[in-house]
Amino acid sequence: MKRLNCLKLFFTGVLLCGLFSCQNSRKGSAEVDFPREKTLYLAGFQWGDPNTFNPLSDWPAFPVGGNFNLMYEPLMVYNTLNGEMEPLLASSYEKTDDVISVMMDPRAKWSDGKMVTASDVKFTYEIGKQYPSAPTSFVWDYVATVTVDTVTDTTEEGRSIEKVNFIINKEKRNNPLVVMDFLQAVRIVPKHYFTSLLDSLNGEFSELQKLKIDKDPVVSGPYNLLTYSGEKIVLKRRNDYWGNAALYGNRLPKPEYVIHPIYKSNDAFSISLQQGNLDVSSTFIPRIWMKQKEGVSTWYKKEPYFVPAAITMLVVNTTRYPLSDSKFRQAMAAAVSYKDIRELAFSQYSPPLQPGLVMPFGVEEKYFAVDDVQKYGITYDIEKAKKLLAESGVKSVFGSDGKLSHMENSKGEKLPTLFIKSPAGWSDWEAMVRIAVQGMREAGIDVREGFLDASLYWQAMPNGDFDLLMHGPSVSVTPSQPWSRFEAVMSSRNWKAVGEKMNENQGRYNNPDSKDYNAAVDSLLRLIPTITDDDQRREAYRALNNIFMQDQPTIPLVYRPEQFYEFSTKKWTNFPTEENPYAPPQCLCFGVGTKSLWEIKSTAEQE
Amino acid sequence: MKILINLLKTPAFVVGIGLFVLTLLMAYVFPVFYPVDTITRVGMPYMGPSAQHWLGTNHLGIDMVSLLVKGLRASLYVGLLAGIIATIVGTLLGIYAGYTGGLQDDIINLITNLFIVIPQMVLLILISSSVKEGRSLALIAFIIGATGWTWSARAVRAQSSSLKSRDHISLAKINGTGTFGIVVKHILPYILSYVFMVFIMQTASGILSEAAISMIGLGPYDSVSLGTILNEAMRNEALTDGAWWAFIPAAILVTITAFSLYVLNNSMEGVFNPRLRK
Amino acid sequence: MLKRYPTLRYILTRAGWYLVTFMVAVTINFYLPRLGTSNPVDIIMAKVGAGLDTEAAKEKEEAYLKEFGLVELDKSGEIIRNESGKPVRTPTWKQFRNYVLMVMKGDLGTSFLNYPKKVGDMIKEAVPWTLAIQIPTIVLGWIIGNVLGALAAYRRGVFDKIFMPFSLFISAVPYFAVGMILVYLFAIVWNIFPAVGGYAGGLIPTFSLSFFSSVIYHYVLPFFSVFLILAGGQAIGMRSMCIYELGTDYIKYAKWLGIKENKILFYMFRNAMLPQLTGLALSLGLMVGGALITEMIFSYPGLGMAVLTAIQGNDYPLIQGCTLLITVCVLVANFTVDIMIGFLDPRVRAAYGGK
Repeated sequence: MKRLNCLKLFFTGVLLCGLFSCQNSRKGSAEVDFPREKTLYLAGFQWGDPNTFNPLSDWPAFPVGGNFNLMYEPLMVYNTLNGEMEPLLASSYEKTDDVISVMMDPRAKWSDGKMVTASDVKFTYEIGKQYPSAPTSFVWDYVATVTVDTVTDTTEEGRSIEKVNFIINKEKRNNPLVVMDFLQAVRIVPKHYFTSLLDSLNGEFSELQKLKIDKDPVVSGPYNLLTYSGEKIVLKRRNDYWGNAALYGNRLPKPEYVIHPIYKSNDAFSISLQQGNLDVSSTFIPRIWMKQKEGVSTWYKKEPYFVPAAITMLVVNTTRYPLSDSKFRQAMAAAVSYKDIRELAFSQYSPPLQPGLVMPFGVEEKYFAVDDVQKYGITYDIEKAKKLLAESGVKSVFGSDGKLSHMENSKGEKLPTLFIKSPAGWSDWEAMVRIAVQGMREAGIDVREGFLDASLYWQAMPNGDFDLLMHGPSVSVTPSQPWSRFEAVMSSRNWKAVGEKMNENQGRYNNPDSKDYNAAVDSLLRLIPTITDDDQRREAYRALNNIFMQDQPTIPLVYRPEQFYEFSTKKWTNFPTEENPYAPPQCLCFGVGTKSLWEIKSTAEQE
Repeated sequence: MKILINLLKTPAFVVGIGLFVLTLLMAYVFPVFYPVDTITRVGMPYMGPSAQHWLGTNHLGIDMVSLLVKGLRASLYVGLLAGIIATIVGTLLGIYAGYTGGLQDDIINLITNLFIVIPQMVLLILISSSVKEGRSLALIAFIIGATGWTWSARAVRAQSSSLKSRDHISLAKINGTGTFGIVVKHILPYILSYVFMVFIMQTASGILSEAAISMIGLGPYDSVSLGTILNEAMRNEALTDGAWWAFIPAAILVTITAFSLYVLNNSMEGVFNPRLRK
Repeated sequence: MLKRYPTLRYILTRAGWYLVTFMVAVTINFYLPRLGTSNPVDIIMAKVGAGLDTEAAKEKEEAYLKEFGLVELDKSGEIIRNESGKPVRTPTWKQFRNYVLMVMKGDLGTSFLNYPKKVGDMIKEAVPWTLAIQIPTIVLGWIIGNVLGALAAYRRGVFDKIFMPFSLFISAVPYFAVGMILVYLFAIVWNIFPAVGGYAGGLIPTFSLSFFSSVIYHYVLPFFSVFLILAGGQAIGMRSMCIYELGTDYIKYAKWLGIKENKILFYMFRNAMLPQLTGLALSLGLMVGGALITEMIFSYPGLGMAVLTAIQGNDYPLIQGCTLLITVCVLVANFTVDIMIGFLDPRVRAAYGGK
């Protein structure tokens, strides 16, 4: 019996240990390294181990790269609520057909005290011309040269400020819209810091890209990297940030620390949000209304909860029969219950879907033409789907049990089953695919779920190795929307046969070498970025959207937000919302959303 | 026959077989009385249990009881198939290694160790990426069986190695019976009951392995199993939304199935072992 | 000559076999991930290629191929091309040679997907956590399971009648299901234990009381999700081993001689434990990859998740690093047990001593 007593002792010991530490961690907030009332926790941007904080590498960890403005800053920021560009390192911009110019803010400083100048901008862009592996290498199809003028400030007399001119590359892409995107997408890096590093490495750029730049990096933004591990990234407020005086009336951002915890499963986000251990999240959390009682909130209090910004769609491989037939594609589009997708798979996080590629709200509402959509658009209608299928010449064969067996072409030959490729484990997409498959099969279209590992999905997409493929193209809200979406879906500028890589129009719509080539699509896509007249632009989008609806190169399924902006009001309040829209629905590190850092309030302070 | 009567006298055996038959009934007979439908969405996501849908709905509004029935079927299928594969491979290699000993024994030991150090995940992901249909239930069963035989090989080896020095085997050797003949005629019959117990254990561990593999997100793409039900519940916020019906019944079903097999195995050990230890 | 030292001879033979196993395992673990159709650079390009023109994308792709040592280079460091201008891929055997040379220098290479992070650093950061959650659970589960199993076998009676079915039931529960139910009850319904992370978010790992108490607090649920099942499984195995030992002549003889109960129990325990040791060694060896589901459910720090993403993303250096670690652990653990058996088990001495 002695042994049993030992055991009892052991279990009591373990429990006591647990309870003791429970007591300790509950009350002992004084012993924490980062006091809760001074720390903002946000998550959803970094998934694996942070690899590098080098802004010149291709996929650095949060908050370097992406649209994050905490450490490195862009010239301007794009307000997704009203479509305006707001000042950051540059105070204003001018735009003509040939050149886009920005005026540098002379007050901007790096964290080592040096000025942020036009030469930093020039360096950031030109490093991409010199080294093809630099992240800015892609700008040179759009920008011909970057020049700098010095002009005298008219408001503050005698002060000279720098003007950076981005000359549009007319030879190559001639696309001012995308150059506007660059103003808010390219983060400026300190020239003096990186040139001296590069010199010490004998000019080996690939060696420079291997540096992690994680010790006291020279940044211009309001926060800097303090420490990081596989569990979290910790940023500390820079009290000498130039913008505090220049842009925010001498105020400091409220959180002294911004911490990005790295979670390994989806439900960790919602558990942490509900328990007040996470303040802002950007992951898909289904049924957000179930969490509202725990203080979890979103932009809208009711559905659709989020602001729609992009379209999740089924990309169709138009090189394979019967998918090459637009009637067949329309039949598929008519067989999907968009309402079920929205309500069951997507937790009603989307307004009802309208046909076409133009969204009927927000900045692009002005391009939405109701009449066209009613005339050409396909909506959910199983009977219509069956009719369209019959018109396409494809015949469905049903088994004796009444279930769909397969499809036949007009010659009576059996057609192979079509598969929808979608990454396994992406739960909202999985649900959408299941609903789409069920509807299409009901209409007599032989389609099946084709879930596969994410790595194979990423490989199948550019190579065109699919029948149908789930995809959310062009998710960022930028000045170039909705053009970027059309370009990503319809452009045959880089058309390549299946097996070679295409980074847009992966469905190979509109082959320029075929007899059915519709030249209007590409010429409209080339034209729209250069149009300056509003009416003309509206007409051009109308024409393009009508072609889309008639040809149905892809099947839009649901609108999705740019990011799933969720926040908990347990520790911080006054987040931007529909009623209090002082900043767009973006995580507090992202784009214009960054300015919310100066406005939120700690609940500890209010008591 | 006598063994069977002996077994039926053991209460644990009766409990084990009873539970196992119960799971079989639930998987194959119960659907006669209950409309099993894992495609139609009958309600909103995570509806609680009701008279119509005894265990509510899952995150897509599909009837949970139907999913459990289908899932149980898939899990039993994976378990049995994996169990058969693992038992055959393990028994053959084990007997051979145990009977011959020496170099062959060492080489088989090397192979056994290799299968322990090569992660199952690598094989799973690799093979499923090269098979066109992706990860089917049968493929998963095959991989579980093909990697899970190691311990049964070791166990069978120990048994057959202890038989090696028995008189009747020496006698058979003198009479000129070949290795194969000795293994089939003189070793296998003696350890047959043991092999059957190994098979039961391999089936149980096959069911648990499938659940674990599906839980990681490497489960079958083409069917519902108890593991995928747990995985989907976890990924679709059943925990935070308090939808206990989406994961607790599946967890209980896995446990009961494995438990019934464990009890069976254990009760047989009590009946068979005295013979083996003579 | 070694015949005079049977134990030494036994150990050397075992060591030789483990060395061969090790080399074969490393080779297989190198070639296996490369048999698949997917290519790590394609996966990276899908991540960074959006918006790039075909030409620019091709240049970037080649830069990565070169950096990862997947293409042949000439003396000046330029990529060798075939007639159609495509880069010549390095044959796998050459990659293998380079890999072996690198590992001999103690370099595990650079991860592809976490470029430019070193595989060695990733392992170094994650392994302490994996060991910290696994070792206490495995060792305690093993000890307590074995003690209880031996006790049940020795006492039989009511204790055994209740204990046995209970252990069987416990060991049939999938441990991740226990994890999910623990999270649901203790973290969500009652909110008394944390379910996310290895320590409170507001802390950085230091040698302080607040950090350690936070670690223990966060450890409660992961510990119990595995511990009971493990102890149950061990207890069953130990119980049958002990029943077997109890039936042997030496115990009967000892009882007849009237030797103290505790002493008999000790002998029985020692002899029954030998086979159980192998199980312990195996679980200790496999623990590096084994904590994956616990990691996923509790967002616990560790290596399991990194291994999974590495395999899915064809991050060869990381896969190789992790499988190397697993191989070494399993083989060393097995070897240690073999040595212990060599010293403890007289039969082995007899077998290798010759006659």
